[in-house]
Amino acid sequence: MTMDVTLNINGARHELAVKPTETVVGILRDRLGLTGTHKDCSMGVCGACTVLLNGQPVSSCLLLAPQADGQEIRTIEGLEQDGKLSPLQEAFLTFGAVQCGYCTPGFLMTATALLEENPKPSRAEVIEALKGNLCRCTGYKKIIEAVESASGQ
Amino acid sequence: MSCQYTQAVAVEDAIEALIAAKGEAHIIAGGVALVILMNEKLVEPTWLIDISRIGALHGIDQLPDGTVRIGAAVTHREVAESEIIAQAFPMVPEMAAEIACGRIMNKGTIGGNICLADPQGDPPIAMLALDATMRAVGPNGTRDIPVREFFVDLYTTALQEDELLQEILVPPMKEGSTTAFGKYAARRAMDYTSTISVAVRLIRSADNKQIEEIALGFGGVGQTPVYSKEVEDILTGAAPSEALFNQVHEKISEVLEPIDDHLYSANYKRHVSAVTLRRTVMKAFDGTWEGEGVLIR
Repeated sequence: MTMDVTLNINGARHELAVKPTETVVGILRDRLGLTGTHKDCSMGVCGACTVLLNGQPVSSCLLLAPQADGQEIRTIEGLEQDGKLSPLQEAFLTFGAVQCGYCTPGFLMTATALLEENPKPSRAEVIEALKGNLCRCTGYKKIIEAVESASGQ
Repeated sequence: MSCQYTQAVAVEDAIEALIAAKGEAHIIAGGVALVILMNEKLVEPTWLIDISRIGALHGIDQLPDGTVRIGAAVTHREVAESEIIAQAFPMVPEMAAEIACGRIMNKGTIGGNICLADPQGDPPIAMLALDATMRAVGPNGTRDIPVREFFVDLYTTALQEDELLQEILVPPMKEGSTTAFGKYAARRAMDYTSTISVAVRLIRSADNKQIEEIALGFGGVGQTPVYSKEVEDILTGAAPSEALFNQVHEKISEVLEPIDDHLYSANYKRHVSAVTLRRTVMKAFDGTWEGEGVLIR
């Protein structure tokens, strides 16, 4: 069985025939070429595939296409505006919060949602918001500093 | 394998599909547990019934008698942020705020978590300590199941194959009751393995020296979320002391049957459960707590 779903991704409407069991991360990467969203654990544990669903971070590996039907999805590709990186993305570069880069899109989406909800978070709030995202390179310090420096912008 | 998908918008749509599927359907709400099992190929559903858009399964309200009704499809985030629940049962939002991390709280639902009946689930043991009622709905209308009869076996509940959980009814606590939730997690943002937790509701005696009444739920130490009448009996009418908690520790070792896993042995889990119980009881009794949020350290 296939079903028709509409996914609104970074402001663009995509009408797709999907198998009900297809995950959003698979659709983004394999069907729409939006490979910035990374796939890793497929268990909701690592945070690499984080996207914003109606503004809230979710694991796109655990999101079936029909669950997202008609909803707004924002991915890493949606952060830059007119070819300009977001202040948070700039801060990641400035602070060296990117090493291998695999986890980076997930951190950026999680932190983007945090700053939209709470523009001036305390360090404790930053750490709390990022607790579900794994990074095996940076030791987190530079990521936390980057998010703090982008707060209020 | 081909899979049908029913996007239910009313409870009746879901029941109709459950009847037609004859036990072969999987209900999906947030999907944060079911889709893991699908990704791991442990479950290959042939029929998914999505209940997350059924209006009647949403909302948190307080009924005139003080009972709090929580819709089955209410997310952990909504529970964590609910003023109504925080006023009535302070440990419940604290518990919900420590379920995995924000991504999971945004999608996972209280009803889904309870119906999964994972022995390590946190909402189920909070409901055990609060003596909640699970209101199921099926072809013949609603059926109320006391939470202590709801968890039947590993990942198995008392729901029939043509029923779904509609809402959770949490009765008001007696005047003077306090609650606490305590949890020991291998990784704070990850709950699916080796998590030991305890939920407590108690009333102190008039002179504040003894535990007059107590109800408990234990996570991570059985085939299902469990309670223990034996442990409750030891604590009822007793004054907290080293000797009392040693006695409780012995009883826990005797009655709880955790499963060994790749991180912790069953024996170690019994030990951690007893330590978590002691601290959580004291948190509810007089607020002394060696921990951060609901997490013991």
